[in-house]
Amino acid sequence: MRITASARAAEVVAEMATRRAGTLTVTIGTGCCESTAPFLYEDFLPGADMAPVGEVEDVAIWAPEYLRRLYPGDQGPRLEVADELAESLSVETELGVRLVLRGTGLDSTGEPEECAVSAPPSGPAVQRSVVGRPPPELQGLRLR
Amino acid sequence: MADYQLFIDGEYVDAASGETFTTTDPATEQPIGEVAKADRADAARAIAAARKAFDEGPWPKLSGAERGAKLNKLAELLEANAERFAEAEARDSGGTIKKATFADVPGSAGALRWFARMAEERPNEQVLEGSPFPPSENYVRYEPYGVCTGIVPFNFPLLMACWKLGPALAAGNTSVLKPASYTSITALMLGELAQEADLPPGVLNVIAGPGGTAGEELASNEMVDKVAFTGSTEVGRRIMQLASGTIKPVTLELGGKSANIILDDADLDIAAAAVLFGTFFHNGQVCESGTRALVHKSIYDEFVSLLVDRAGKMVIGNQLDFNSDLGPLVSRAQADTVRRYVALGREEIGEPVCGGSEPEGLADGLVTENFYRPTIFAGVDNSARIAQEEIFGPVLCVIPFETDDEAVAIANDSIYGLGGGVQAGDVERAKAIAARLQTGTVWINDYHMISPERPFGGYKQSGIGRELGTAGYEIYRQAKHIHTNPSTGRDGYMHFAALSGNI
Repeated sequence: MRITASARAAEVVAEMATRRAGTLTVTIGTGCCESTAPFLYEDFLPGADMAPVGEVEDVAIWAPEYLRRLYPGDQGPRLEVADELAESLSVETELGVRLVLRGTGLDSTGEPEECAVSAPPSGPAVQRSVVGRPPPELQGLRLR
Repeated sequence: MADYQLFIDGEYVDAASGETFTTTDPATEQPIGEVAKADRADAARAIAAARKAFDEGPWPKLSGAERGAKLNKLAELLEANAERFAEAEARDSGGTIKKATFADVPGSAGALRWFARMAEERPNEQVLEGSPFPPSENYVRYEPYGVCTGIVPFNFPLLMACWKLGPALAAGNTSVLKPASYTSITALMLGELAQEADLPPGVLNVIAGPGGTAGEELASNEMVDKVAFTGSTEVGRRIMQLASGTIKPVTLELGGKSANIILDDADLDIAAAAVLFGTFFHNGQVCESGTRALVHKSIYDEFVSLLVDRAGKMVIGNQLDFNSDLGPLVSRAQADTVRRYVALGREEIGEPVCGGSEPEGLADGLVTENFYRPTIFAGVDNSARIAQEEIFGPVLCVIPFETDDEAVAIANDSIYGLGGGVQAGDVERAKAIAARLQTGTVWINDYHMISPERPFGGYKQSGIGRELGTAGYEIYRQAKHIHTNPSTGRDGYMHFAALSGNI
């Protein structure tokens, strides 16, 4: 497994290095609402089964054995940036962005270099209304 | 002033910085409103309020019955405002109005009522057996920890908030909640109910903001006594590290890649529905989703055909329409993650047997890129990345097996162990399989049926501890053993026997 980073991701990591006094680490983690994703942590203690799989702006990227086994080659996924205030304890969220993992790790040559997520919209709030009525078969449902 | 403010010390307030962030309707990407953006200082302010409420306020000194009455009042108020909460939840999260109306809101009220009952019924003291020498009278007092923080994910924001605040408050703790940034609104709205229920200031606090600052503070601040988190395994690991500074106990409900086993004697009509519901409910953005369907080879072709036929009949569209079965994913980034895994599946497995793209013909104004069709990959090997990594999207892997032993081995071949299912005609056979699955919940001939009185949590890297049930209440209390020696003379003590009669 070899993980690279887009120029924008490198900029984000570099910016966080100026904001955090401790040692930064990128760890590739798994599961739940973030799927497999990069996490940028300060003073993180990598687990016993983790090993370096890349580097961005002198910050080491670590991944657990479980993921390294799934992505054995060098053409690994890459770190990119989504302009969203996504959920995570990853420290770059304080910038209003989130590092994401893109590319399949198999053949990413045809994929765009940067994440396509656009900046959040501005303008007046729009509160769309509910349409229709509850289906009768669910109206008897009782969750205790 | 933010449209949705932080709830700290019984009042709605802006972030100290005055900063806000925009929360959007993921179906349209239009803004819903501005949410106060808490940073580390706001988190510390909320923690301090909770600390003061615990150390100096009336809450921990109230009887269980009194705290239970307050939680029942919260549940009653939530039910009275059910439509408003359900609309806000659906609009903010992309979950359907059906889900919000029939699962999120009643499930949340149900959790509050369950923990109210726990506060009323579970003993605060328990007499233990004493000892003849040295003579003793012994009992255990169950006491709250103090300040409990809860960090909750985007998929069930209101429900998860109530799973955290319910047991914490019932046991006499005070609470600081942080919902996910994508979906902060309904948890912040709980403050209104807390005010109306006349909860003492500081007992419940809700903040919204980046996990990298506010979330770190909730997990590490020395005034916090316990942390509960639902979300990704990697963040769970981080929370354990942050909490270790002051040895805070943690409750973690993390990732999953659950197996739903379809035996050869299953009612295929019902089993197919169980697999579709188990996988595609809320677009698969559910921790315990049964995203690996293990299907007996003797029924494999027929069953896959059933799945494909029915998956195409699910209605995808406006999440605020009661006719919609599936709405948008929570965000563009989440939809991009799903697209990435489907591309990966195509390279590794081949073309999916259904789905694999955005839906066509959505109503005007809906952003097609944020929706995704239910996608099924058949003939998947369990070692494939799409069978091992949690996608958190509407993607099902169908995996064939020949024997019950093989099904158990495949199901357990995962770093996770959160949920799972067995669809079977012979229930005893299903129970035998359930006993061998390394997972926190197994549904036989059903799926996703979570209820407040039944414990929920994970084996392996799916978490630590249990939520709901009596276990989910007791985990918010600590045991204090009180030993009384009733002796009046020197003969009744070990001191002299163990050391010397001269002491």
